[in-house]
Amino acid sequence: MSSDTTMAEPILTATNLSVGFMRGGKEMKAVDDISFSVAAGETLGLVGESGSGKTTIGRAILRLLPSANTTSEGSITYKGADITGLSKTDMRNMRGRLQMIFQDPLSSFNPRRNVEDIVAEGLVIQGRPATDRRERVKAALADVGFDLEAVAGRRPHQFSGGQCQRIAIARALAVQPELIVCDEPVASLDVSVQAQVINLLQDIRESRKLALIFISHDLAVVKNVSDRVAVLYMGRIVEIGTGPEIYERPAHPYTRTLLEAVPVVDASRKLEPDGRRTVMPSRNRPQSGCAFRGRCPRASTICETTIPILGQAPRGQMVACHHPHDEPAPGIAAA
Amino acid sequence: MDASVTSRAILSCSNMTCELDSVSGPLNILHDINFSINPRRALGIVGESGAGKSMLVKAIMGIAPRSLRIHGKIELDGQDLSKLRPKVRQKLIGRRVGIVFQNPMTSLNPFVQIGRQIEDSGRVHLRLNHREAKRRAIELLSLVGIADPEDCYDYYPHQFSGGMKQRIMIAAALICEPDLLIADEATTALDVTVQKEVLDLLQTIQAERQMSMILVSHNLGVVAGRTDEILVLYGGSVVEYGPTAEVFRNPRHRYTEALLSAMPRMDQPAHTRLRTIPGQPPNLTSRPKGCPFAPRCPAAQAKCHEVMPTMSPALAPGHRFACHFPLPEIARPVIAEFANVQ
Amino acid sequence: MTDIGNNPGFNPGPDAKLSEIVRAATPWSSKLRLSSGSTSEIIAAVFLVLLILVALFVNFIPGLVSPKLPYGDFSQLPDWSLNGLLGTDDIGRSIFSRVLYGARTSMTIVAISTTIALVAGLMLGLLAGYYRGYFERAVDLFANALAAMPSTLVVLAFVAVTGPSVVTIIVVLGIFDIGTYARVAKAGVISQSNRDYVLAARAMGATDGRILLREILPNLIPALTAVMPTLMAGLIITEGSLSFLGYGIPAPAPSWGGMIASSTDLLSRFPLLILGPVLAIVITVYAFNTIGDYLAQRLNNREREN
Repeated sequence: MSSDTTMAEPILTATNLSVGFMRGGKEMKAVDDISFSVAAGETLGLVGESGSGKTTIGRAILRLLPSANTTSEGSITYKGADITGLSKTDMRNMRGRLQMIFQDPLSSFNPRRNVEDIVAEGLVIQGRPATDRRERVKAALADVGFDLEAVAGRRPHQFSGGQCQRIAIARALAVQPELIVCDEPVASLDVSVQAQVINLLQDIRESRKLALIFISHDLAVVKNVSDRVAVLYMGRIVEIGTGPEIYERPAHPYTRTLLEAVPVVDASRKLEPDGRRTVMPSRNRPQSGCAFRGRCPRASTICETTIPILGQAPRGQMVACHHPHDEPAPGIAAA
Repeated sequence: MDASVTSRAILSCSNMTCELDSVSGPLNILHDINFSINPRRALGIVGESGAGKSMLVKAIMGIAPRSLRIHGKIELDGQDLSKLRPKVRQKLIGRRVGIVFQNPMTSLNPFVQIGRQIEDSGRVHLRLNHREAKRRAIELLSLVGIADPEDCYDYYPHQFSGGMKQRIMIAAALICEPDLLIADEATTALDVTVQKEVLDLLQTIQAERQMSMILVSHNLGVVAGRTDEILVLYGGSVVEYGPTAEVFRNPRHRYTEALLSAMPRMDQPAHTRLRTIPGQPPNLTSRPKGCPFAPRCPAAQAKCHEVMPTMSPALAPGHRFACHFPLPEIARPVIAEFANVQ
Repeated sequence: MTDIGNNPGFNPGPDAKLSEIVRAATPWSSKLRLSSGSTSEIIAAVFLVLLILVALFVNFIPGLVSPKLPYGDFSQLPDWSLNGLLGTDDIGRSIFSRVLYGARTSMTIVAISTTIALVAGLMLGLLAGYYRGYFERAVDLFANALAAMPSTLVVLAFVAVTGPSVVTIIVVLGIFDIGTYARVAKAGVISQSNRDYVLAARAMGATDGRILLREILPNLIPALTAVMPTLMAGLIITEGSLSFLGYGIPAPAPSWGGMIASSTDLLSRFPLLILGPVLAIVITVYAFNTIGDYLAQRLNNREREN
């Protein structure tokens, strides 16, 4: 029943993860006490707006945050073993299992390398023999629809955005990972190209039983790719559950605000602009209590004093709200 | 004046073609663009990167690079812009058209108080004196939903968030009380919730001030419920043009249709397979000879690769498209669909 | 991004941005002018290539006399023979021969000093930029201290103590440029470290050494080559001043600064004789600076595109 228990054994679990950055002597909490898990073959979507900490979570999982001026707490376990305490060398050996795809594919490639070197890089680092390497690079490129012979010597800038993102996927696949963190992988792509990359990721996830953590600000994309979804607001998970739970019966007022704001491709009726235009609500984090209360129509006195913690919502998902909703999503109501 | 209001377009482009000289010969940036926008109407211009959206806006605003050769006619309020001297033309555009660009961080001067920046074109074009300009600026700041406009007048851009800056840009665009407001990807850099607020604001102001508006976006969703007509650009050409509701309900051009079904939708369950469009959008230097979409089109025939299709005659509600083998017409359900479009 | 500047037949890639095309296609853009290199840039480049060839092969020039031995009368005015092209100096040596051999001296100093400065500066800069913290502060302090010191005076003091020798001059001049190379390298490392490709390499398990040497270092080369010619011009001037003051390259060896010094005594009677070494220094410094500006400009264009 509870969405927190995934069908399969979780491959990666984050428990009470917090990350802070030191800025001018003050600590800014980018990620605040977050817990979640992903199973093999499952996609966890992380949605949030800028400042929600979604990118930081992705990097924290792979331990890619800079060590200077950063504090992090909590544990990340991979197949039952805690990887937060691993030494640099031990972590390096883990790297092949956990991979990452970035938002801007072009900047994620060294401009001075050719495609074959880029895709082979992880294998070189792992110390694979050259012949084996070429085979694997060929296979990884074939998986994303490229022929090694045709692209090997070309530089990344000779490819379009969508093609670059496919090469980035091949680079991640070449080391045969079990989990890939995708950080806004389609945000910089045109719609007509975005679908190619989304479908490709889905195919690969299915055929390789990959676990994906899919970070995005686009709720429609996240809905399409995710089995479970975590909604982030100012460094905290405000709601987490299966796709249908989140999208059909969102319990947190912020989730509902987000869903209402998504531009829908429906021209059958002209939208009535929201009349409440007078003053923009403050987006600063309030001094106390719930971070969303400044914008929340349901805020009450308890929201000012007590930070809500994640708890079971009426319909099964977990929600961090004192006054959760229990009705269908705005658009779903009629259906 | 009154008699012509209904018929005369505030802005119209006819047979507009833009070329850019390059070492390898002229580049055809925009090809034979025709559209017009009537008073108090909202037009959406959609297209992917390289479709020519931003060039079209720049050509209209007279801020295209000097090397861009513009043929055809752009009429603003009945005056042919190409016939005016550059100074007169820029003055006319400055007074009648307001524009909001994509990136508020670079459109605002970081060293000048925002109040001054809002007043700027008002003082140039309307010769407002200091007091009057300030009064208007503060009025506009409160109109766009900035709290404490008197205080904010003296603030600098860095004291505002991205969404607030975009509101300030809207205020600046409104200072001359333009007849037409162009929002060129104005909400692309914003978060979804902020995007909705800014779009709502634009729509409300457009209705209140009886302006026309052009919403330029790569996002079909942004344009869908907020415009009366829509212009779909692909590879520098208009592929489909018509009432927004009609184009979305029954896209006739295969690009429009493919684009709509390539978008992940909120009303589909997870892992719904998206329809892909093979290949990439055409680049500017190697525009195909025939239909720009032919190389990616599932229904393309020999003719499509050879002959550029022309716009069809306007069908019933002014729906036009440029396709040799258009999708079939879908019968309209009997509900009165355009009841809410005036 | 594609380097349009180097590509006269400009053919944008499949994903070329419109702005890029506009810039490349716009006739008045400075970019297009740069692509072929302006006349002065071409002349400067040709001159520097010739200079390097002379420095390498001056002893193979047929008929050129030794720069250290007298070959004619004292203070002879120029004539149209090879060795007499610029006249002879106060003890009868061919000025033309000495100018050419002086090029070898100058270029040797430039080459070795630059190598020392580049290697040391690059190492400091890489480490400071990558590890930041105390190390960065120490390198900054070192670079700022060097920049604050009047290099000619300090070298002068140094040479006064140790006595003039080619090795001392080369080493001391080299040390003075370490600071600048370190700073350029450090800035480059910091900006490159924020790029996703460095993160991607770390995600692949690359070691710090690999990231620094294989990923970041190659991307620093454009910035470093852009400052190099300007610093080289500085070396030539400093070396010239030292030799002029008599603390440079020891006496019989030909050096441009030393030649200027020795011809000043005769300046009132034979002003033409100073022309050779002066022109050699002026043109060389000018050529280095021209090439430096060109490279810096090209780097700026490339960065704007990214």
